[in-house]
Amino acid sequence: MQHAFKLGEAEHNVALSRAREAYCLHVGDSLVPIDLKTSPDGRTWLTVGTRHVEVVIATRGDEVFVHLDGEAHALRYRHPLERLAAQAGGGANDLIRAPMPGSIVSVNVKAGDTVSKGQTLLVMESMKMETTLVAPRDGAVAEVQYEKGQTFERDAILLKLEAAAGEGA
Amino acid sequence: MTDVSRWPFSTVLVANRGEIAVRVLRTVQKLGLKGAVVFHAADRNAPAVRMADHAIEITGSTPVAAYLDGAQILAAAKSCGAGAIHPGYGFLSENTGFARAVESAGLVFIGPKPEQIELMGDKVRARNFVEKGGFPVAPSAIEDDGPATFVERSRTVGTPLLIKPSAGGGGKGMRIVRDLSVLEAEIERARSEGQRYFGDGRLYCERYIENPRHIEVQVLGDSHGNVVHVFERECSVQRRFQKIVEETPSPALTPELRAQICETAAGIARSAGYRGAGTVEFIFGPSGEFYFLEMNTRLQVEHPVTEEITGKDLVLEQLRIAAGEPLGYAQGDVSAQGHAIEFRIYAEDPGRGYTPTTGPILALRPPQGDGIRWDSGVVQGGEVTAAFDPMIAKLIVRGTNRNDAIARAEKALAETVLLGCKTNTAFLRRLVVHPAFVAGDVHTGFLDANPQIAADPPMPNGTLQALLAAASLSTRPMRDAADCVPDLHAAIGEWRN
Repeated sequence: MQHAFKLGEAEHNVALSRAREAYCLHVGDSLVPIDLKTSPDGRTWLTVGTRHVEVVIATRGDEVFVHLDGEAHALRYRHPLERLAAQAGGGANDLIRAPMPGSIVSVNVKAGDTVSKGQTLLVMESMKMETTLVAPRDGAVAEVQYEKGQTFERDAILLKLEAAAGEGA
Repeated sequence: MTDVSRWPFSTVLVANRGEIAVRVLRTVQKLGLKGAVVFHAADRNAPAVRMADHAIEITGSTPVAAYLDGAQILAAAKSCGAGAIHPGYGFLSENTGFARAVESAGLVFIGPKPEQIELMGDKVRARNFVEKGGFPVAPSAIEDDGPATFVERSRTVGTPLLIKPSAGGGGKGMRIVRDLSVLEAEIERARSEGQRYFGDGRLYCERYIENPRHIEVQVLGDSHGNVVHVFERECSVQRRFQKIVEETPSPALTPELRAQICETAAGIARSAGYRGAGTVEFIFGPSGEFYFLEMNTRLQVEHPVTEEITGKDLVLEQLRIAAGEPLGYAQGDVSAQGHAIEFRIYAEDPGRGYTPTTGPILALRPPQGDGIRWDSGVVQGGEVTAAFDPMIAKLIVRGTNRNDAIARAEKALAETVLLGCKTNTAFLRRLVVHPAFVAGDVHTGFLDANPQIAADPPMPNGTLQALLAAASLSTRPMRDAADCVPDLHAAIGEWRN
């Protein structure tokens, strides 16, 4: 089965299968034997092909954090269903998330409003700088989650879109 | 060991949070004094709260507001029998009104006299005071000296010049003018920014030093009139006028210049009758000229580098001075050895314009080893929120010389594991091996001039593959799906590919 991880802005398709005592990673055209083992002293070792390297891994929900070669990286597992929904024109595109922590300066739309791509949905402030969030596509406002003055963390869902009335799903 | 039995206080309340609260409590408790701390509910599980002998909850409309509420903090001090208050840095540390209120309540304020905070807190007054004492200040024009002639006098300062709000700080509202034809327009813009940020539109102009270094000098003064300097720190690596890396000794100073700048700082502190730990900041030009910038009347974030090369515990010195003890040593007794560099670990994304990040701290493994110091206020299981400043820890490395310290730093930064919230450690690693940094050839505009250091470098294929492998094996639905397919099928899959 195909799975995917988001790393930064890019999405990477992968598949995993069993191979003898360990696993095989399928990425693009390549196939690599991989394994992850914890040694008695609690350290975690990753094997990728012929490479054997210590890693630290932490997970939370769909997020996987990996410390590798002296750097931390964050990956997000994409559920196959979520990806299908996104490909159908809805899904993640419908959730307007906060690009950084901050507070709401103004909300320019209300639930039920029809919006067109590029239209200002709300204005937020972070580090004394204002940022305008615009509609990524045509649609209607399903829900507004925050009001003026409220604060939020990064990735908080600020607003939800849905298909405009009369528009096919 | 210091004898605290005759000190006028036996319990010290720390009116701060995070790493500095832990840092101050460490020395307080080592001396055999009791340490108390105030905390907002957002910090309930913070290390300082667990470490303190008394922890008193304070409230506020925002978490920051709680730590700025002097009346509540004073009440907390009384409730736990604290005889002294250490303000740390930020928050109320340079608030004259708070220092006065502490003293009027009969408690000891661990810091300078209120009038010294007041003098140095007003940039214009401080600058005039320093200039009158015969110490170097940059050519300037001050609006308050005659608002009607301000623009005219600004022209005579010469270009490039810098316009600053008198009440300012942190780089807000500052504007550089290279062409006098836009001077008036820029003055108006700076005024409106000063009004917006500080509620005060008064300005001053000074000659702008291109590619300057930021060099500051640590001073200590007791209540008996003794003042010494504890050498310099260079803090030229900055982003948005905020320090990121600080080191001592400065790679820019010859022994002669070092003596000159350190003596100047001690002289300024002496002329103010300064009591406590303070820092005199200078702007240092490419040809070795230096001018007084400002004096910070508190313990600095970057104080550990000074401690690492001099062996002095600056918090201990602050406590001794507050207790009325004389310094007990002369300038000639203060010596330094080796090189120390501090890195501020920020919850931020350098590749996205240093925007702050938030998140849970799912894994935390500080670096360890000889010459490595980790001052932090966060623990695994904690959370970084947008409620406070994004600095979550400080990594301090010490080496026999600068190259040794840099090598140690690169290794320690790589060994620093913090998962769940993006930090700037990878960026700091790129910075510390950058040829200009290694050569000590930096200035306060260095990061702006070299944005590629902040940008995420392209990821090697091998790294991407390893990350996908680690993530796949750590994702339950993927592992489960793979485990339920027998090896034979997987092998068929192999042929298909």
